[in-house]
Amino acid sequence: MEHIIKQTIEKLNLPSVQFADVRITKTDNESIYFQNGFLRHYGSDMDSFAIGIRVLIKGCWGFAGSRNVTPTNIDKLIKTAITNAEKGSLFITNPVNFKALQATVASNHHVPEINPFSMDQDEKMNLLSRLANKIKPQDKIVHSMLMAQFMRQEKIYVNTEGTFSHTSHYNTLPMMMVVAADGGQIQSRTWPGHMSGARGGFELFEKQKFEQNTDHIIKEATDLLTAPMITDERADLIIGNGHLALQLHESVGHATEADRIFGMEISYAGKTFIKPSMLGNFQYGSDLVTIYSDSSNPRGMGYHPVDDEGVPGKRVDIIKNGILKDQQTSRHIAQMLDLEPSSNMKASYGDDMPLVRMTNFCLAPVKGSLADLIAETEHGYLVDFTKTWSIDDNRNNFQFTTEIGYKIEAGKITGIVKEPTYFGITKDFWNSCDRICGPEEWELHGTFHCGKGEPGQAMQLSHGVAPARFKNINVKVSY
Amino acid sequence: MTEILQYIHTMLSQYSELKYVINYKTWQTDFLRFFHSQTNYNISKESIAIGVSIYKGKRNYSFNIDNPDAANIDVAVEKALDIIDSLPEDPDFVDIETDLTIAEYSSTVNNILAIPLEQKTKVLQHIADAVRGFNFEIYGTFICNFESTRILNSNGIDKVSTTSPIYLEVKAVHNESQVTVLETFGGEDFSRFDLADFTDRLTQKVRYGCGEIVDVEAGHYDVVLAPRCIAEFVQYLSGSMSAQSLDQKSSYFEDRIDEQVFPEYINITDDPTDPDVITSSYNGDGHIYRPLKLVENGVYRAFMCSNYYAHKTGLPKNGNTGNCLVLKEGDKTLEQMIGSIKYGIYVSSLHYMNFMNVKETSLTGLTRDGTFLIEDGKITKVINNLRFTERITRILKSITMLENRGFTIPFSGNYEFFGIETVKAPHVLVKDFNVTSSTNTI
Repeated sequence: MEHIIKQTIEKLNLPSVQFADVRITKTDNESIYFQNGFLRHYGSDMDSFAIGIRVLIKGCWGFAGSRNVTPTNIDKLIKTAITNAEKGSLFITNPVNFKALQATVASNHHVPEINPFSMDQDEKMNLLSRLANKIKPQDKIVHSMLMAQFMRQEKIYVNTEGTFSHTSHYNTLPMMMVVAADGGQIQSRTWPGHMSGARGGFELFEKQKFEQNTDHIIKEATDLLTAPMITDERADLIIGNGHLALQLHESVGHATEADRIFGMEISYAGKTFIKPSMLGNFQYGSDLVTIYSDSSNPRGMGYHPVDDEGVPGKRVDIIKNGILKDQQTSRHIAQMLDLEPSSNMKASYGDDMPLVRMTNFCLAPVKGSLADLIAETEHGYLVDFTKTWSIDDNRNNFQFTTEIGYKIEAGKITGIVKEPTYFGITKDFWNSCDRICGPEEWELHGTFHCGKGEPGQAMQLSHGVAPARFKNINVKVSY
Repeated sequence: MTEILQYIHTMLSQYSELKYVINYKTWQTDFLRFFHSQTNYNISKESIAIGVSIYKGKRNYSFNIDNPDAANIDVAVEKALDIIDSLPEDPDFVDIETDLTIAEYSSTVNNILAIPLEQKTKVLQHIADAVRGFNFEIYGTFICNFESTRILNSNGIDKVSTTSPIYLEVKAVHNESQVTVLETFGGEDFSRFDLADFTDRLTQKVRYGCGEIVDVEAGHYDVVLAPRCIAEFVQYLSGSMSAQSLDQKSSYFEDRIDEQVFPEYINITDDPTDPDVITSSYNGDGHIYRPLKLVENGVYRAFMCSNYYAHKTGLPKNGNTGNCLVLKEGDKTLEQMIGSIKYGIYVSSLHYMNFMNVKETSLTGLTRDGTFLIEDGKITKVINNLRFTERITRILKSITMLENRGFTIPFSGNYEFFGIETVKAPHVLVKDFNVTSSTNTI
């Protein structure tokens, strides 16, 4: 890989090329899916190479990508990328331009505790079969699934400024779900929720306590069939980590991707309510709220020593004590906003065009335990485990439903509610945050499926969160 | 037969105890993305891959190989044979697809070659020039794919299908207010693209977009849903029309076959023979894809059912996947529909819908790309984007008028191979549509 990529970047050192970069990935994927206790699918995609060549000519990006990394094909891709830039420049009024960066040479190779690709096959299948069997249909449970996705990716990135980065990592997405039915009604519970992806290997099944939670989700799914819905108009909500990660993702993470400011994502992902003039003065949240992008944390799936545009990994405060301070940027967009690039350009595979993406996008912890927070809540709900999520084109109006809510009265959990649904406006919501738990409750959650860009890319990324309380939130939705 | 395909077919056929499915796919895309009436980037991508599923008794294992050659096929097959005996069984598996019917041949033009980049930028320049006078710029994508799939299996299936979809999505955005309007073209035949008509339709929306911007309160409104909107609702509902959802107890249509579920003027067909839609010859297993009436005169008729779920549920298999949905048009003009509304809303497009309870078909989502106020039978103002919380089945039950013309609406699957499919639908008038909040933004 190293030899191929160095040869390729040499061929792009042409007078007409303002900037070029090349990335090659070698990826292994394995997916395992049990349905109703039985193995329904076991598939793999191993040693998958992908290469992408990006060139900037006359202020226009041209890109060519392929899964074929033979020298002949790479020569063809170079020509295609150049042609795409040259022809695209015929429809350009504001050429792309950005400041040069010093070359970075970096290397990082992550090793999981239990390598899912080389571990004993029987051991792997025995654990998964046992879990799947424990949640198979029984009593009111009519459907169940257990899934695991394992990914190993090696990447080499080079650019015409001399940057060279060689990395490898393992990510895992484990999840299980049960569906309970009674008459025409169904209710579901997952564990550990939709944000269960993490940097690591097979050890995540133990770390995320799957074995200890099979009976728990069966009981809760069954109990939800007869649980009431929230009847309040407004309520104080404590949001648990699994769901708060998604709230953060949707209403702050995507909103602060600065390519949206300039309409570069209008055709698919959308815009943002944020304007450049808000930087430095917009009260995004209460003064408790500090939110940062941190591609320098190796525990998260968004870690990189260098991003896919040659910017070294770093921590950037996006919101500091409630005030909007910075954005997630590319080098081009950072220049447009007069900011330093934030190291957020990422491509999912080698043959993908890099885009402004979240890396490890985190809510800073403040103080106290979740138990303390519940004890201090007079009337409200602890909601967790995302069921439905939706947010508008500008990332301003959101509505979420979680699988379960725990009713809190006088500082104690007194029962459960089904399908708790809340909605709000991003700024108002984050300004209503009056408590954020401390470092002891702070966890990284993550997804394999953050969709953005066209052609679409699914990004693996993490969110660090601690449970937080939001006051007087609208929880009544009639339909 | 492609050499590499012959290689793996011959290798696997030596194992009489195995059943297998081989899916060989070549794919290319040329992808122009533009913003602020200029190129954002041009992307060309390609891939060649073989996907193989091997069955031994009731055990199965699948693997995919990008850029396959004899060496990596040998490694993958050896691993598969090594692993399959150690896997648990799937008691519901009976057999792989047996349908040997071959679709009628139709030639496919490679639109990547037929619509070169110069032509694409010329089209976009024309559209950009048309809206610039209104202080709008264009944003969007112009995509051509070319894709060929060959499916072989040990039951004798050997089928080829080729498709070359085109997807043009143009959003015109006002430079100051950010009011956005949308026009799209989708299909496989670029000769059906009428640039003048496309530009006229977009420009008309731009004119509406120059109006005053207002908010409306949450509540129930009579709405005219653009074809894109009702098409998307029907797409979401079609998940409930699959045997898989029935098996998973999540289908609204459980125990509703032959029941009157919608008004008698609602007809929904999954119809790959409609010349306006992007067609499919076969489903992913290789079963032929033929028209299937899902809702006929308001009566629910059939589940879309693959080979696996036919064995599992006992329903007849049909090869339909809901990729060619058509909501039959009615007898009203758009002007009649808007003209019949005293105070209501025109919705151009939807955004970020998600089910709250899939069996009940309850969901939430938002309007996007042009939401307009209708007063005294005319579009008068722009409305901020709105959130709705509804049941799709209630929306279909509340349709009182359908337009006398169907539009082909392209939707992109977006991930992996950027699959493009179309739904054909007319404008519809829906009574008492449930708007639950405003986004305060355009």
